[in-house]
Amino acid sequence: MVFDRVWKKFHRGAVHDSLRDLIPAMVGRILGRARPEDVGLSDGDFWAVRDLSFEVGPGQCLGIIGPNGSGKSTTLKLLTRIYAPTRGQTAIFGRVGTLIEISAGFHGDLTGRENVFLQGSIMGMRIKEVARKFDEIVEFSGISEFIDTPVKRYSSGMNARLGFSIAAHLEPDVLVIDEVLAVGDLSFQQKAFGRIRDMTRSGIPVIMVSHQLERVAELCSHVLVLRRGEVVAQGEATDAIAAYVQQQGTEAPALEGGPVRFDTLKMHSDLPVNSGAMFGVRLEGAIVGEITERIDPLVLRIRSLRSGQILYIVGSVALGVEVPKTGAFAADLTFQANVPAGNYLVEVVAVDIFGNKELSSAPPALFRVVEPTTFRGTVQMNPTVQLVAK
Amino acid sequence: MSAPLPVQTAAPTIVVTTLPPERQRTVLGDFREIIHDFAGARDLLRQLVRRDITIRYKQAFFGFAWAVLVPMVVVAAGLTVRVAMAHAAGRTLNFHQMAGIAVKSVPWAFFVGCVNTTTPSLLANLSLVTKIHFPREVLPLSAVIAQTFDSAIGFGIAILVVPFLGVHFSWAALWAPVLLVLLWVFAFAMGLVLSCANLFFRDVKYLVQVFLTFGIFVTPVLLDAPMYGRIGMNVLMLNPVAPILEGLRLSIVENHNLLEPLAAPAGFDFWGPGRLVYCAVWAFGLLAVALLVFHRAEERFAEIA
Repeated sequence: MVFDRVWKKFHRGAVHDSLRDLIPAMVGRILGRARPEDVGLSDGDFWAVRDLSFEVGPGQCLGIIGPNGSGKSTTLKLLTRIYAPTRGQTAIFGRVGTLIEISAGFHGDLTGRENVFLQGSIMGMRIKEVARKFDEIVEFSGISEFIDTPVKRYSSGMNARLGFSIAAHLEPDVLVIDEVLAVGDLSFQQKAFGRIRDMTRSGIPVIMVSHQLERVAELCSHVLVLRRGEVVAQGEATDAIAAYVQQQGTEAPALEGGPVRFDTLKMHSDLPVNSGAMFGVRLEGAIVGEITERIDPLVLRIRSLRSGQILYIVGSVALGVEVPKTGAFAADLTFQANVPAGNYLVEVVAVDIFGNKELSSAPPALFRVVEPTTFRGTVQMNPTVQLVAK
Repeated sequence: MSAPLPVQTAAPTIVVTTLPPERQRTVLGDFREIIHDFAGARDLLRQLVRRDITIRYKQAFFGFAWAVLVPMVVVAAGLTVRVAMAHAAGRTLNFHQMAGIAVKSVPWAFFVGCVNTTTPSLLANLSLVTKIHFPREVLPLSAVIAQTFDSAIGFGIAILVVPFLGVHFSWAALWAPVLLVLLWVFAFAMGLVLSCANLFFRDVKYLVQVFLTFGIFVTPVLLDAPMYGRIGMNVLMLNPVAPILEGLRLSIVENHNLLEPLAAPAGFDFWGPGRLVYCAVWAFGLLAVALLVFHRAEERFAEIA
């Protein structure tokens, strides 16, 4: 699928929803007062998507992340031809499978069985195809007992499960996923995620939007970070997610002028870390301001990507590390990955100890922990800091 | 807001193929797309029709009987009006006239039903329209087809009853299917226009209500067109549904070949082949325009709705 320099304009506020509003607007247009549509923005217009380009080929999985209202879902709707771009073009080759609001076509008065056929054909399946996969779909949804019950009597969880099961059996050429990773209860969520993972690994191009960064990190090879319709970061999944998290976590723009300038924070190796094993991180930076008693220039933090919470925090004072009072420094940090499998960020910040305020921060480094081996069940990172001559 | 992030471009995915410039829109190209869309959506259409028919009678006490009951009510209303008129004129209503009402009421009920069900068809499926891409033409089409099944039952019964009212079918009755096709095409074209308009302007449904309520007075359903007098009749017959209904009555009940001219009882020219051409041009002309308008408006549905 290709997205070629796409722009999409939306209007803030109401559009003409009744004839009473339209007629004056039409008169205005005939009299030549209205501006031509495509050229620019008139009052109240804004670009929901601004000059966005990307391409996703076979075997690739592109994740789109960003704050609410950044244009993620609009991008997917442009891609699936629900919206037409104001400028630019989109192209998709092959049948598109969409995992978006998957029970949208359900009709409450119809039974689960009837709705499977209806929803399946809305999504572009042939009736024969649905009939062939029917047992599989029902089996997957786990609600075979209620398949001949009208859908209006379903719980919302059952609804979502059935909807997901239909969409998951589409066998598309291209897969588009929008925030559907949290469907149903915990066991179904895992089942659904497994299914999505299988689909993404089957070699078809996949594009997904999600706020569950953990899942994005797991599925996607590349990530785009959008803000206000524009790309603010893109690249390898881990780098882009780390950049996004840092941006989200630090609301204050004053971090530039802190007493410490952190230049790089980089994993020694990009390979995943076994749970319980040691891993190293390289830090480079310089002291550019005055380090007073109040300031700890080197605080290490481990943040869970799944929850966004800080799991572990330790300062140089507690570690007994003497950071030089001035000039450039470099450090090799090691941690024991004493955490469950998942994605985590290493963050290094300088803080005001008394005000508990962040003064400077390094771009975070993301590490991935796999398969518990000697995980000891608590978050105890056993860090060491080895200052090296620069 | 925090400081902008450094934009990293390391990914091979970001190298974008430049797409060829979009082709110019042509009427012919659009029709090709429309036909392609319909061909690809056959199964979807079947499912939607099945849904529309099923939900119409689910949880309805009389079920499918409604398909017969509704046209019967229209026929009964027609008979009441005509009996009253005949009474006022000091005459009695003959069976032939009753048959005429029956033959016209069922198609009229079909037309009203179509307009009623197609107008909200897009809005009622808004969750689909804004979430999933599929040819939206199938929504009004499925409403029309579902209504067709409904009305076919009523029309079948009307045809069975009519011989008991003293009507003998002749070869002229073969015009009936032609006229029914014209009515169907016109109803579908109206459905496309109205469903689309209703999405953009919510006042359309009120307009439709007004037209349907008063439409029966400007369409020769309960009365026959010549009863309006020469000028009245000619104005009335501008309504494209009027010649279709009158043609049905003439061909089935009066055994009149529609290619032959016919004079009204009062002496003025009532029917000629021109009437047939007139409604055919309306039906197919409107269909072509409606398909095109619908197809071009389609891409804005999700935004406007």
